[in-house]
Amino acid sequence: MKRKGKEPVLVVTQLSGGNDFMNTLVPYASGHYYDARPTVSIDAGEVLPINDALGFHPNAAPLKELYDLGKVAVVQGIGYPNSNRSHFRAMDIWHTCEPDKVGTEGWVARAVRELDPHGENVLACVSFGKGLPRAVAAPGVPVTSLGDLERYGVMTDVAEEERGEALDVFKRMYTPASTGPEPAMERLSQTGLDVLRGIDLLKTAPETYRSNVEYAANPIAKGLRDVARVHLADLGTRIFYTQHGGYDTHANELPTHQRLLGELSGAIMDFYQDLEEHGAGDNVAMLVFTEFGRRIRDNGSGTDHGSGGGAFIIGPGVKGGLYAEYPPLAPSRWLNGEDLRHSIDFRGVYSTMLEQWMGLDPVPIVGGAFEQIRPFS
Amino acid sequence: MGRPYAMLRAGFPYVKTVGMRRMTVNFPVDLAIGKEGVLHILCRNEEGAMVRRLTGEDEDLGSFGSLGVGDGQLRWPVSIIADREGNLFVSDEALHRISKFSPQGEFLGKWGSHGAGDGELNAPSGIAFDKDENIYVADALNHRIQLFTKDGGFLAKWGSHGAGDGQFNMPWGVAVDELGDVYVADWRNDRIQKFTGGGRFIFKFGRSGSGESEFHRPAGVTVDRDGDVYVADTGNNRVQLFNHEGRYVQKFLGDATLSKSARAYMLANPMFLRLRDMAVIDEQKLFRSPRSVRVDDQGFMYVPDYGSFRVQIYRKDVERLREDQIAAPLRSPSLLTA
Amino acid sequence: MASDNLALTAHLMRRAGFGSTRGELEAHAARGYADLVEDLVNPERFPEVEEDVLERYYGWLEGVQGQVWAAVWIYRMVNSQRPLEEKMALFWHHVFATGVSKSDHPPSSIQQIKTFRRVGLSSLREILLELSRDPAMVFWLDNNENRKGAPNENYGRELLELFSMGVGNYSETDVKMAARAFTGWTFAQPLGLYPYGFYPSRFVYREEDHDDGVKTFLGSEGNLNGHDVIDIIAGQPATARFIARHLYNFFVADEPQVPAWSVAPPRDPEAIDALVQAYFDSGGEMRSVMRVLFNSDFFKESRFKRIKSPAELVAGVMKLTGANRFPDTRALDYADATAAMGQQLLNPPTVEGWHTGMEWIDGGTLNERVNFAVGQAQDAASPGVKAIIDRLAREGAPLSPKEFLDRCLDLVGPLTVGEETRDALLRHASAGGDLDLNADAQREAGEGRVLRMLQLIVASREYQFA
Repeated sequence: MKRKGKEPVLVVTQLSGGNDFMNTLVPYASGHYYDARPTVSIDAGEVLPINDALGFHPNAAPLKELYDLGKVAVVQGIGYPNSNRSHFRAMDIWHTCEPDKVGTEGWVARAVRELDPHGENVLACVSFGKGLPRAVAAPGVPVTSLGDLERYGVMTDVAEEERGEALDVFKRMYTPASTGPEPAMERLSQTGLDVLRGIDLLKTAPETYRSNVEYAANPIAKGLRDVARVHLADLGTRIFYTQHGGYDTHANELPTHQRLLGELSGAIMDFYQDLEEHGAGDNVAMLVFTEFGRRIRDNGSGTDHGSGGGAFIIGPGVKGGLYAEYPPLAPSRWLNGEDLRHSIDFRGVYSTMLEQWMGLDPVPIVGGAFEQIRPFS
Repeated sequence: MGRPYAMLRAGFPYVKTVGMRRMTVNFPVDLAIGKEGVLHILCRNEEGAMVRRLTGEDEDLGSFGSLGVGDGQLRWPVSIIADREGNLFVSDEALHRISKFSPQGEFLGKWGSHGAGDGELNAPSGIAFDKDENIYVADALNHRIQLFTKDGGFLAKWGSHGAGDGQFNMPWGVAVDELGDVYVADWRNDRIQKFTGGGRFIFKFGRSGSGESEFHRPAGVTVDRDGDVYVADTGNNRVQLFNHEGRYVQKFLGDATLSKSARAYMLANPMFLRLRDMAVIDEQKLFRSPRSVRVDDQGFMYVPDYGSFRVQIYRKDVERLREDQIAAPLRSPSLLTA
Repeated sequence: MASDNLALTAHLMRRAGFGSTRGELEAHAARGYADLVEDLVNPERFPEVEEDVLERYYGWLEGVQGQVWAAVWIYRMVNSQRPLEEKMALFWHHVFATGVSKSDHPPSSIQQIKTFRRVGLSSLREILLELSRDPAMVFWLDNNENRKGAPNENYGRELLELFSMGVGNYSETDVKMAARAFTGWTFAQPLGLYPYGFYPSRFVYREEDHDDGVKTFLGSEGNLNGHDVIDIIAGQPATARFIARHLYNFFVADEPQVPAWSVAPPRDPEAIDALVQAYFDSGGEMRSVMRVLFNSDFFKESRFKRIKSPAELVAGVMKLTGANRFPDTRALDYADATAAMGQQLLNPPTVEGWHTGMEWIDGGTLNERVNFAVGQAQDAASPGVKAIIDRLAREGAPLSPKEFLDRCLDLVGPLTVGEETRDALLRHASAGGDLDLNADAQREAGEGRVLRMLQLIVASREYQFA
């Protein structure tokens, strides 16, 4: 569904390492849960209940608050057949929508190709964080990837007072006098000048940004603040990508996971309020995902790689509530005797976002027609 | 309590293994035995560094320290020792400093600066207290040993780069015996050198190789109260035991069994149980690249099993003999043993 | 002429290795081109990298995470006295692209690269045999699932399509037969990561899983086993041509990517013919093929005709600045840098390997390449930069802007730049007037100018080429 005036924007947040969904939205009324998690469980008295079966982790209070406002759609039990337990491979599958073979094109990049078929806006897709996630990579799709908004651009290691001159020389070096016969040289020229254009556009973002929201000092808060700043600068970015790492909680899970959920849900609330304050949130929806859930049984200190994770769709235009089904917890229903069953394919959730939010045909992007949910109607 | 005149060596049995990957111990490079037998296990790799605290019963008491260059952080930590109050000292060969922590792990201070002058350090590796709690430091890339007060005041130094007596090539481990003599794992010379506390060369033993009394890059050295010398023979994946004269006694190759935490972990993982059931387990007992060996007053030997994320524990079983309990020393071997 | 010899030597060292420091370059140039080629193709003449020191600082190398080992590999690229050995390992890693991401089992991937290092210059037959017995490859292409009666064709197919002959030179039946020949080629189950860390895997031939029926493969009939199939493959002209094309793309000049090879003719057919000839003359010995390649005119004339791979760029910058000559705590940053530029060592994206040439370049990766090089060149105290400053100072007389630029281009490469780059750099140099490093008052400012000039040069388009 198209917003009036403003085009829809998607913010993808990747939780790297495999978030423990059972300890994020806790089945606090289930004896099976406590049986399987003698050490790594959240006490029923501590959870923030949303009904008589499920409650948010106590440190996810901001997320619960947004949920109570009806702005959070929880996708319970998301996954795909034969879930892969390798971080790299599982993340690749989520990034490329190719569970059976090794794919090369990211689903976000394919969407960007539809949104900006001629690659006219170098900022159509902006990814924050180290390196380029495969989700946003595809041949010929320009994606701007930056670790840090303040330090984005080439020649950043040149002393500040020299940087203007360095950029000027860079521009001259990359501006061809004539179109040469060398395609590789041309590619370099084109790309170098694109990068410079991106820098020029992006530097306006921190300059014009004002906000009363104070984000916390952690990577996801910083990432979402950068998203807010670029979004508010109105540079035509349609898809943002951010990452929050550290979810691989094999050991000592309780304190670690508590910290992560606090950082994540606080950052989401700050981001939400920041956009509200600027009246710029109506055309924004977030998708929060992770590469897999964790094992049902704990290991005495943490939990190991599993399947059947959860995802969140958040935004002013979202119809909050629970979607798909919480994986069954009775041991007889465990997948392979140890894992959560998924109840919806992740490609169906991508399709939901692509079709119902971004207005794109999802089939070629995710590689097929998958059952969707209805969080926007 | 002095050294026994001699010993009847009954054996040195394996006792148990504590720790496992990630859950408790990652790449343990060294350990210090703190108050009430708490093991302070120093862990280091390129992606993390910390001190993990375990009880001897494999209970996790948490950790302190993290990878970084700030106060209380660790970048390339090498050695950890505990003083009589239980405070912990950790050397760091990337940051050229020694950091001090309370028994609970609070950062208390640091000393050391990078350089080659007196009292300056270039990649400090092994550290050891003398009886006055001064600290010997194997100053690896300056190829020397330096002695400091506990607070970092320079006291003495000896050694230079080379392979002669009293010279070193990237020394690593250092130990002090109850008489105050100093042992140095002269890492790249594949030998152990022994000095007086003042740095006078006494003797050396070991040469390159994989046989008895031969080393392949020995990293750790320690001495027990009987004067026995233990060497973590890193490149040969073993620990060798020598008597106080440097005579080879026996070696340890590793006997690990599943620790308490490892057992719990495996029982929670049906898939891993299946894969393990398909594998041969011979290799699992062996040490992998051990970089240190430590002993306590009860005769326990602790080997931080670097490549296998655990600590293997052995216990020395000897009868200590007075001079009147054993025949006088013999010059020559004899076949008349019956 | 002397300087042309230097430029040619620099070219050889960029291609057969990862560049050279100025000191190395001058010593190599003095040795003479043909003798230098002999040194390169006979790496065993020179000592190995000292692994004990690497282990001391980076950890037990059999047990480290893939990215740490990648960092150690980059160290070897910079420091090995056997540069071609390391370059061949990277070459085969490009061709036999095996990703650690599927197995999450670094020791196997590490073992594979060590195998490439060990056999990289021997006969293709031996190389393919080692490859077929390599646990990382067996798992990557599912040959552990390839059993009598239930063949899995993945390895058999890619062996023909991507590792030896190329599409269009064999039939679907040949794929099926090759797969049957490799039934039972698997590995022993290693102990798992938990609880005590990874253990290596070993090749195992399982007689009971092997299909010993009669097979017909590329016209040969019999109870063929895997090594028979390799023998047949290694004798095919298509194989010689396919490997020649790979060598050309990796060592000589950028070609279109592999999937296009069945339709797009080679850039230089005569060069490919020469390499094919060398292959058959030597019985497929890579050492001989490489000797012919490096001594050929087409190689000598191919200066700056390839875009550097990220590994080449990163290692090359270090040769320039003198960084990473002894283990230090930045190692992982270097491995992360190549990954950010699109080349995570040990983890190529697919079995097709990395797409090379201009496909290395997009907005994100160019940004990373430029910033990495510029960032590394910012330290006036780094040995390589300091040596350049000292050398310029030793010239005595003040340097005109043009001389200043020419000396810098020479010391960075020698690097040849186009008109736009030259104009831009000269304009920049001219703004500062003559460079006088010997006048005390100007020394610091002068050093700053050299530093900036080096940073600008390594940021240029031309520096992206090998």
